[in-house]
Amino acid sequence: MTIATAPSPPATQAPSGGPSRRGALRRLLPLVPSFVLLALFLAGPILWSVYVAFTNETLTGSASVNSTFVGLDNFVRMFGDPNFLNSFLLTFVFVIGSAVIGQNTLGLVIALLQRGRGRLLRSVVNGVVIAAWVMPEIVAAACWFSFLAEDGTLNTVLGISQEWLYTAPMVAVILANVWRGTAFSMLVYSAALSEVPADLVEAAAVDGAGPLRRLVHVTLPLIRRSIMANLMLITLQTLASFGLIYALTGGGPGTASQTTPLYMYEQAFRYFEIGYGSAIALVLLVIGALFSLVYLRLIKVEDA
Amino acid sequence: MKRRLAGSLLLLAAIAGCGAGASQENSGGKELEVLYRVDVTWPHLEKMLGNAKKQYEAAHPGVTIQLTAVQGTPEAYYTKLALLNRSPDSAPDLYYHDTFQVNADVAAGKLAPLDEHLATWPDWDTQFPDSVKAAARGTDGRIYGVPISTDTRGLWYQKEVFAKAGLAVPWQPKTWDDVLTAARTIKQRVPGVVPFSMYSTKIHGEATTMQGFEMLLYGTPGGTLYDDTQQKWVAGGRNFTDALAFVNTIYREELGPRQADAQNPKLADKVNMDWFPAAKLGISLDGAWTAAAWKPTSTKPWPEWTDKIGWAAMPTQNGQEPGSVSMSGGWVMAMSAYTPHKKEAFDFITVATNKENSMAYSVGTGDLAPRRDVAADPAYSADNPSVQFFTELAAVTHYRPAYEAYPKVSAQIQEAMEAITTGSRTPEEATAAYARSLPAAVGGADKVLGP
Repeated sequence: MTIATAPSPPATQAPSGGPSRRGALRRLLPLVPSFVLLALFLAGPILWSVYVAFTNETLTGSASVNSTFVGLDNFVRMFGDPNFLNSFLLTFVFVIGSAVIGQNTLGLVIALLQRGRGRLLRSVVNGVVIAAWVMPEIVAAACWFSFLAEDGTLNTVLGISQEWLYTAPMVAVILANVWRGTAFSMLVYSAALSEVPADLVEAAAVDGAGPLRRLVHVTLPLIRRSIMANLMLITLQTLASFGLIYALTGGGPGTASQTTPLYMYEQAFRYFEIGYGSAIALVLLVIGALFSLVYLRLIKVEDA
Repeated sequence: MKRRLAGSLLLLAAIAGCGAGASQENSGGKELEVLYRVDVTWPHLEKMLGNAKKQYEAAHPGVTIQLTAVQGTPEAYYTKLALLNRSPDSAPDLYYHDTFQVNADVAAGKLAPLDEHLATWPDWDTQFPDSVKAAARGTDGRIYGVPISTDTRGLWYQKEVFAKAGLAVPWQPKTWDDVLTAARTIKQRVPGVVPFSMYSTKIHGEATTMQGFEMLLYGTPGGTLYDDTQQKWVAGGRNFTDALAFVNTIYREELGPRQADAQNPKLADKVNMDWFPAAKLGISLDGAWTAAAWKPTSTKPWPEWTDKIGWAAMPTQNGQEPGSVSMSGGWVMAMSAYTPHKKEAFDFITVATNKENSMAYSVGTGDLAPRRDVAADPAYSADNPSVQFFTELAAVTHYRPAYEAYPKVSAQIQEAMEAITTGSRTPEEATAAYARSLPAAVGGADKVLGP
């Protein structure tokens, strides 16, 4: 995007194109170190993983030394694999439940409720919410495990005996992820809401709009770009979520909470099918790209 | 997602980077890296290797042994080892290796054959029985590891629980039905006790395949995973379904551990360190090493176990010949094909598997001794009255078809077992799913024998 918009000011000065090219170069120069670093450390592994997705490469065994190109076999196998389709569905439920609905809505609600409150209250609420976010994934998982375990806090408080992680594993991991990730959405929305001009909201109030109407017709349209950007970021983050689920349920019981990243890990690193695992990773990449496209598209539609 | 993918690959690269240079010369001396597994409740191998390191370094000035631990379950260990072995730079020089993984690594050219070195080591012929020597024999007939342990499997039972349930001890079931009847009796008469425990979920990995499924399958008439005469893998069939049906009965009649426990990676510790001592479990289908959990060398000794615990052979399905069944596996010390110091590395293997160290390992872990001189030593069985019984199970034992494809076949079995445990599939459905996935696992439909 920078490259596309960059050349306009120098172009007016020098129509010949020579200095403009130099200008563009000058602008691109600072990018060079990061491109070199990316190429050095990431291009190799990424290209390699794209390549092995089309082979029968394994971590050990004869296929690890004599892997052969198998074309689309891995992808054909994937879409005929009930375990993959199950993981795909669970990933969708996980992303919609914990990111799009959970973190997004809760973050917005907390940010809205905080407007105009006392400084002390805001600091306390912010502190508590952000603490969950700062916590390493594995520690957060351990907290939720102790909370939901059979002799854990929840059952002790409710005075019942229920194996939450086994009876409702998806609910458990979705709740844990909402708890952990809400801070990000809250921060994005706090920032966005502070940019909403108070006079506009006041004017709407004077015109007789109630709080709900003011929110839906004034505030939300004004922060829609933040909403879309936030949705895109948390969707991509949640799509790739691994540690939290792995530590909480391990994808089980059975495959009841085995989202695609967990399935990918199992195939690649537990059963050593690195070729098949990479193919799954590629598909996940495409799904992430599709989600982003939808959000970007929505922003454009709104702007038009 | 891109970030995640790249992240995991970077991690891989980082692991490779860390290991690099491990076997390089340092200040004129040689260094050998030894990879092994350790767990809080399983410190025995670490102790033994620490001892071997001291002995070896004293006898071999100029060679340093670097011990690299992998903390966690055997499954975590397999993954770590496979990743380190991806590159000669990161591969350890020597490693503790599960015999069922050996042929896959031989096919990948990661293991060094030891025959040449073994010929110069008198202990190999005098102390290791032929059956034990075969533990790490490749499909090419060469030896790829020196056995550090061997084992058999059977039933352990709590005599107090049996007494409360009115079951006679000593107990020796004749058929699967006898086992189920005992479990049902316990459920009925001793509430609050888990009647029967076995490994049956993916989290327990190879234990689910071997201690769980294969102990059943190889006890059905002619039951096997691999047909030796036709050299093909058997795609399910009646025996396969029957074995799964036993597991199904355990869980559907609630004779087994609850789902949360069946899925707990620490089930073995719960069974042996909590439930058995507290008389909260009737019967456990597990390995010969189980008694190690109660011995003085354990992290939680239970001296009364010799009075409270009994052991029995796992019967065949209908009591058909030979009446009982067992499975045997074991671990070896193996040498990397990439190590530049093969002579020194082999010398370390001979130290780690000498009488003293082999004894320390067997006594600590409760595994059966692979060496004749250890097995004959009174100190070996002194505080473990179950040793003789489990050693004699060798007469009815089976070995896994540990071909290159075996780990993948094992993964499919774990899949089936877990589906039965949770009840998401019936035994027939799980068998059908296994038969469907088998050709891909073993490399083609021509390697599969229809049911």
